[in-house]
Amino acid sequence: MQILLAEDDQAVSLITSLSLEKIGGHQVTVVEDGEAAVDLATRQAFDLIILDGMMPKKSGLQAAQEIRGAGLITTPIIFLSAKSDERDIREFLELGVGYIAKPFEPTQICSHIDEILARTGFKT
Amino acid sequence: MKSIRGMLALLTFLILGASALAAWRAWDARQQVLAVEAKMTSSMETRTILLMMEELPYFDETLRRLNLELQRIDNDERRIAFKDALDAYAARKPEKLKRAIRSALRAESKYHEELRRQRAVIEDRVVKFAGLAWGILAAGLMWSLLAINTLIFRQLRHLSRRMLDFLVDRYSYQFSNPEANELGDLQRTFNSLAQKVINTMDDLKRLDSAKSEFLSIASHELRTPMTSIKGSLSLLASGVVGQLDTNSLRLIKIAEGETDRLIRLINDLLDLAKIESGNLPLNCQWTSWDQFCRRTLEGLAGLAVNADVRLEQMSLPQLEVNIDSDRLQQALTNLVSNAIKFSPKGGTVRISVSRARSGELIVSVIDQGPGIPPRDRDLIFEKFRQGTTKENPLVKGTGLGLAIAKALVEEHGGGIGVDSEVGVGSTFWFTLPHWRENADRLAA
Repeated sequence: MQILLAEDDQAVSLITSLSLEKIGGHQVTVVEDGEAAVDLATRQAFDLIILDGMMPKKSGLQAAQEIRGAGLITTPIIFLSAKSDERDIREFLELGVGYIAKPFEPTQICSHIDEILARTGFKT
Repeated sequence: MKSIRGMLALLTFLILGASALAAWRAWDARQQVLAVEAKMTSSMETRTILLMMEELPYFDETLRRLNLELQRIDNDERRIAFKDALDAYAARKPEKLKRAIRSALRAESKYHEELRRQRAVIEDRVVKFAGLAWGILAAGLMWSLLAINTLIFRQLRHLSRRMLDFLVDRYSYQFSNPEANELGDLQRTFNSLAQKVINTMDDLKRLDSAKSEFLSIASHELRTPMTSIKGSLSLLASGVVGQLDTNSLRLIKIAEGETDRLIRLINDLLDLAKIESGNLPLNCQWTSWDQFCRRTLEGLAGLAVNADVRLEQMSLPQLEVNIDSDRLQQALTNLVSNAIKFSPKGGTVRISVSRARSGELIVSVIDQGPGIPPRDRDLIFEKFRQGTTKENPLVKGTGLGLAIAKALVEEHGGGIGVDSEVGVGSTFWFTLPHWRENADRLAA
């Protein structure tokens, strides 16, 4: 799969992208903030977009709203949420297909994503 | 007069003064009565002399004595009458003498009557003033007692009530308007003490919230890098970024295990800080004990399987407890996971429920572990204290599990403790005050 990953924490983004590439065999494009994520998502086709909840310039939710706002992009979105974002979970589920709570086990993130996509019918 | 002592002194002075004045007047009147009575005696003597005079034969010596008697008479009317009688006696004229004596006796009688009237009036005054003196003394005594009660004892009772209020009313009461007397001094002293207590409490609260805040920030800031370290280590260990040789893999595994322990410690510290700061009020609801217990044990199934320990639960379908499920689940989880860690392979950990004589519910977690020596039984509930055994020199944990369980159980109004026999096993128990048996649930 072609995956767009937006995550400002370099350690987390490196670990996540390595997991996705090495374990899941996906191609991952990494951006560091919400604005770059919106920019790239509207110019390039991805199979999955992963957005961190808290990012500089635009938060994960704002970025997701703008990506969906274009109307054409129906790519599934999965959020990475920290414990402090509990209030946003409802909106995460409205705009995206699911969320992964931090801290997550990197070796299991691929199976986790597969599970979410299978449950929501994006993958069989 | 502002001081109570001054007021009481003035009161005493006034009472004693008035009473003494009345007593002096009574004494003075009594002296007057004595004076009048002396005059009456003297009049009686004069009367006796007059009665004898008619029969007295004339002697110069007798006339001289009678003249002396005349000197004693202080009243003009009587002296003239007596003088007339004396003159008649000297002239030796019996007829004239008889007339003069009769006239003098009439004067004496009149005088005597006058004196008697005077005595009656003055005696009346004696009784009045003596009564007044005693009356003032008695009334003054009563008044003084009333004043002492009002000024001192009633105020003292008021003061002690206010002090009790201070204890009950969460340390806020102060005397806004202390009186300007000795009790006022006491009130002012109390205010200073109260202020000191309030300041100390405020300081303690500030320190406590600063401590909680520090712990919470520190734990939060520690978690983020720990997550990255843990993620990196687990990716390295999984071998997906490149195969590692055996030694490197072993080192990475050690680092991973210790990282897990550090993360648990941070989580426990954060939990304990939250519980101790009291920032999270309990959300108690009536909960089925069986469901609650099953849910808790499900979360521990993995740990039990790894340790080859069986978990048993006493089934009580009609039992309900009023608890905050999430919080108490953590307490029970800590107790059961401890029991699992200390159990021998193939052992059993049993959760049983009984009723204390005091009516509380006792939840017991019974293991077949090595037991806890008596000297350690109180220590293990303190932070960072762990029991050690020969077989199990150091069971890897944070040392906070039991402290957290204790804090959570106490939040629910219960107590916690342990009974243990070395070599046989330990029973960790806690009590829950709010429980009921729901017959409907049994029927349903």
